[in-house]
Amino acid sequence: MSEYLLEMRGIAKSFGGVRALDGIDLKVRPGECVGLCGENGAGKSTLMKVLSGVYPHGDWEGEILWEGKPLKAQSVRDTEAAGIVIIHQELMLVPQLSVAENIFMGNEITLPGGRMHYAAMHQRAEELVHQLKMPEMNVALPVMYYGGGHQQLVEIAKALNKQARLLILDEPSSSLTAAETAVLLDIIRDLKAKGVACVYISHKLDEVAAVCDTISVIRDGRHVATEPMAELDVDRIVTRMVGREIKNLYPKVPHEIGEVRLEARNICCYDPENPSRRRVDDISFSLRAGEILGIAGLVGAGRTELVSTLFGAYPGRWEGEVLLDGKPIDTSTPLKAIRAGICMVPEDRKQHGIVPDLGVGQNISLSVLERFRRLGRINAEAELHAVQGQIERLRLKTASPYLPITGLSGGNQQKAVLAKMLQPKPRVLILDEPTRGVDVGAKYEIYKLILELAQEGVAIIMVSSELPEVLGISDRVLVIGEGQLRGDFINDGLSQEAVMTAALTPVRKEYGVTHA
Amino acid sequence: MDKARLKLWLSQYKMLALLVAIALIWAFFAWKTDGGFVTPRNLSNLLRQMSITGILACGMVFVIVSGEIDLSVGSLLGLLGGVAAVLDVVYKVPLPLNLAIVLALGVVIGLFNGYWTAYLRVPSFIVGLGGMLAFRGILLGVTGGLTIAPVSEGLVYIGQGYLPQLLGNLLALGVFAIMVFLTVRQRQNRARYNLPLAPLWRDVARVLLGGVVLLVFIRTLNGYDGIPVPVLILLVLLGLFSYTASQTVFGRRIYAVGSNMEATRLSGVNVQRVKLAIFALMGLMCALAGIVNTARLAAGSPSAGNMSELDAIAACFIGGTSMRGGSGTVYGALIGALVMASLDNGMSMLDVDTYWQMIVKGSILVLAVWVDVVSRSGRR
Repeated sequence: MSEYLLEMRGIAKSFGGVRALDGIDLKVRPGECVGLCGENGAGKSTLMKVLSGVYPHGDWEGEILWEGKPLKAQSVRDTEAAGIVIIHQELMLVPQLSVAENIFMGNEITLPGGRMHYAAMHQRAEELVHQLKMPEMNVALPVMYYGGGHQQLVEIAKALNKQARLLILDEPSSSLTAAETAVLLDIIRDLKAKGVACVYISHKLDEVAAVCDTISVIRDGRHVATEPMAELDVDRIVTRMVGREIKNLYPKVPHEIGEVRLEARNICCYDPENPSRRRVDDISFSLRAGEILGIAGLVGAGRTELVSTLFGAYPGRWEGEVLLDGKPIDTSTPLKAIRAGICMVPEDRKQHGIVPDLGVGQNISLSVLERFRRLGRINAEAELHAVQGQIERLRLKTASPYLPITGLSGGNQQKAVLAKMLQPKPRVLILDEPTRGVDVGAKYEIYKLILELAQEGVAIIMVSSELPEVLGISDRVLVIGEGQLRGDFINDGLSQEAVMTAALTPVRKEYGVTHA
Repeated sequence: MDKARLKLWLSQYKMLALLVAIALIWAFFAWKTDGGFVTPRNLSNLLRQMSITGILACGMVFVIVSGEIDLSVGSLLGLLGGVAAVLDVVYKVPLPLNLAIVLALGVVIGLFNGYWTAYLRVPSFIVGLGGMLAFRGILLGVTGGLTIAPVSEGLVYIGQGYLPQLLGNLLALGVFAIMVFLTVRQRQNRARYNLPLAPLWRDVARVLLGGVVLLVFIRTLNGYDGIPVPVLILLVLLGLFSYTASQTVFGRRIYAVGSNMEATRLSGVNVQRVKLAIFALMGLMCALAGIVNTARLAAGSPSAGNMSELDAIAACFIGGTSMRGGSGTVYGALIGALVMASLDNGMSMLDVDTYWQMIVKGSILVLAVWVDVVSRSGRR
């Protein structure tokens, strides 16, 4: 029998010509916790989907050995039968069902005739919650009565009930408080002692360092390093994660930075699901005319929440003050924000950007339809004229403005959404992940456009998970981590390591903000 | 491969397919009734029968396109028609004032429904279901469960009258002139903004084809007693609603809201107000349909408009309006209403039992939407 519980060898997976994984190795011993680290888009989630059977055997290259024998899973059911259980970032619980019902979801103990054997289920559930050190939990109560931390543990109980021998935790602490996370890490240590192996995926490297025995780093779909945690520290992990040089992808256009245009004061956003948790914790910053402000930080740090408050798009409760040119403005709805002069290109293009049933041109003109109104009617020709102007300016590739927008490539759809938000002539333009899912050529054009706008004096906020991009075109960089402002740097030879370190280093409020 | 091509064909020529379906239905009934179905008299009746469903369908298209539904329209039609009858018969309110009151009441109730849906966030299905019961209840209370008759001559004209032949001819001529004018102006505008122009022959052919359809239509109706007033109302609505859908800011926003409400909101559109306006318009259409219905029956009946919400909704779906919102046309919905009315009329002429009529109509609805789904799948 092999030393390893799991061996993945040379895993490769492509999506329509794009190589997402390119020969990745991952080994896990029984009772070991392996930390899987990498930047956003490095391929961590894809790798875990291969492992858990979301992508069936044959859909990818390479081989998986489970206890030394090849594992050819066709579905998640097969891998769960083997003992591999994945816990996703978003919890997969049914809030209205009881803790016990959730633990036994799909695995119910039944009496003859299909009736649920509640007594047996409750007894087993009690054992599990005791094992997870939550004796106070009432397994007959609906899951929604418990907070995020307990819900996460219910997920783990569910996994243990499936006789999990390898637990994959994908960003398990992304919705937990610090105290809840500490409990979670304790339980993982316990499980390790009982011989359950773990793959722990997290952007929070201090957690990874605290609980993992071995670290595997992947970057751009390739395996970079596997080293024992004993020989590493957070800084070294960061170096291995980033390890990439900025190529000549970023145009340089000199632009003048003017007066302060936008000020955000003491912005706090509360989680709509868990109102006691702050997604954004008292952040203030300012932005000058013609300035490009990059906002860096890991996914889920609170960047999108922060900027969406400036545009009236945050779904939950928030507090704070927004000033434009020194005057307080009302940003309670997108309409009011746009009228005040703030526009935003949202992160999720499909959900929040495009209107799929309208044509390319109609999407572009949606923000300023009023402008073409003449006696209640849209002056179609004037509209088309304006739309074509935008299409030319952004070099949007479409055969006709009447074509459906869903037929365009990701990059061109993004340009259309950008064009839509440029029409109101914003004084502040917020771009949330403006180059996500966009090919390199279109990226370059978007960067050039951003710089052109800055040259015209538009103040720009760019949220991005791609550090090279942030460092490539920003004048200043804000670093957000776990809802806090963890750095405010002038981008003058700023290094990726410095930004990453800031993002991962908790700041106590009384220390203030670090300036480089 | 053939299946894929059929799908493409269906999605591109959906309206044509519907017209072919109507032609088939008509041919079948004409054959079965020895031509009785296609006499000017029967076609005139048929169009008058479909006018009430058609009026409701005009409003319903916007509701469904915006991603909502309104189940209360049948009861509301009955209620507003009943109010018109009571004002006319009991209080002898002069006709213009009566119409104004009923139409205004329709808008107010529509706003009420819309406020519940758009601002108080009660799903429109529930608001409609509640309204369906409550409005019918109010109607029963107002009429005491009795038929209110006889209504005055003037009101009856709205439902049973005909336009004099000369006026009908002039109207057709006017519509033709508008068609020519719009085409010419569009060409001028496109030329001014340096936009590509369609070849001249195609625009000419389009206008001529429209003219021929208009001629056949007016000749047929004039072959009986002239254009029935309800049909005239429906035609005017068809024009107004199509214009609103394709040419106005409001219309564009209806489609945007139904297609992706969140993206529309983030584009700076007050989506709640758009929905409110749509429901107000639906209320107005209920008032109009109620008046026409009362006029046609020459009485206000407590059972008026029973189940007509289902006819209106079915007409929209048969006419290609998308279940999930974002697409649909007014003329499509009216063609859908014509399909339903043709089935009703033809089967009644053939003395088909009522229960068979219901079975056939139900099956046609499901079938039509299935064809729609098949032609749509693969998108998104």
